[in-house]
Amino acid sequence: MNKELEKLISLHDLDVMISDLANNDINKQEKKLGLSPDSAVKELRKMRAELASTIDRKHRDMYDRLAGHYGNAVVPVVNLRCSGCLTQLPTAFFASQNRNDQVETCPSCGRFIYWCD
Amino acid sequence: MERQCLVKWDMSSSSREDAIAELLEKFSFQRTTKELLQTALETRETAQPTIVHEGIAMPHCRSILVDDFMIALGRSRRGIPWPDDIVSVIILFITPVKPTGPSEHMELIKHLAQTLRSGGAEDILAAGSPSEAASILKFIYEGKIPNE
Repeated sequence: MNKELEKLISLHDLDVMISDLANNDINKQEKKLGLSPDSAVKELRKMRAELASTIDRKHRDMYDRLAGHYGNAVVPVVNLRCSGCLTQLPTAFFASQNRNDQVETCPSCGRFIYWCD
Repeated sequence: MERQCLVKWDMSSSSREDAIAELLEKFSFQRTTKELLQTALETRETAQPTIVHEGIAMPHCRSILVDDFMIALGRSRRGIPWPDDIVSVIILFITPVKPTGPSEHMELIKHLAQTLRSGGAEDILAAGSPSEAASILKFIYEGKIPNE
């Protein structure tokens, strides 16, 4: 898989982690388990900044714009469709032998897409 | 909580990172997926170790790389450094990112918090078999529904 795409997926999962721990219900349950979600969020935000700084500026800006607009900037391709907007992807996308070897975006919604293994 | 779980009963790992990798090996992920999930779980552990009870760690996250709940229980006789504590039971889970939000993820955490706080933690540390450990957490192990 393209390294930049790997970083975008990791950034997405890190954002999900931060958002989950900031969610009141999850935060409460994590505290019941004896964890300290608030301090974990602080650390995760630092780690996010570090990861984001290693991503190409163009992709990072796109990611932030998409995440701000849709809530999710990276989505898997499921049944030949972008799972973000459910648009069927053009056949040219499927002709490639090297899926995930480059950063691709959905031609309809613009989200970053990747093929599941 | 009718969720399927996999169990690694006699873990051989001697570090947190190896233990996470050993449990991820139970699933049939492709190499890249496994590496990215390992990174996500380690990131959370680095931010804050998920020790939920003396001797029990609970590495967990949500990820777009999975489309169903992935739950694995691990038990180590000699214990695994985590890294400042020693754990002998690991409850690892990864839940999918869905458009409906994190409610299912939250329900699983809530279920585990209730179970562990009501004696389940001591019970699972003393469990004598994989099926018993799964049953304490009310997970389905090898197709067997708990208390069936």
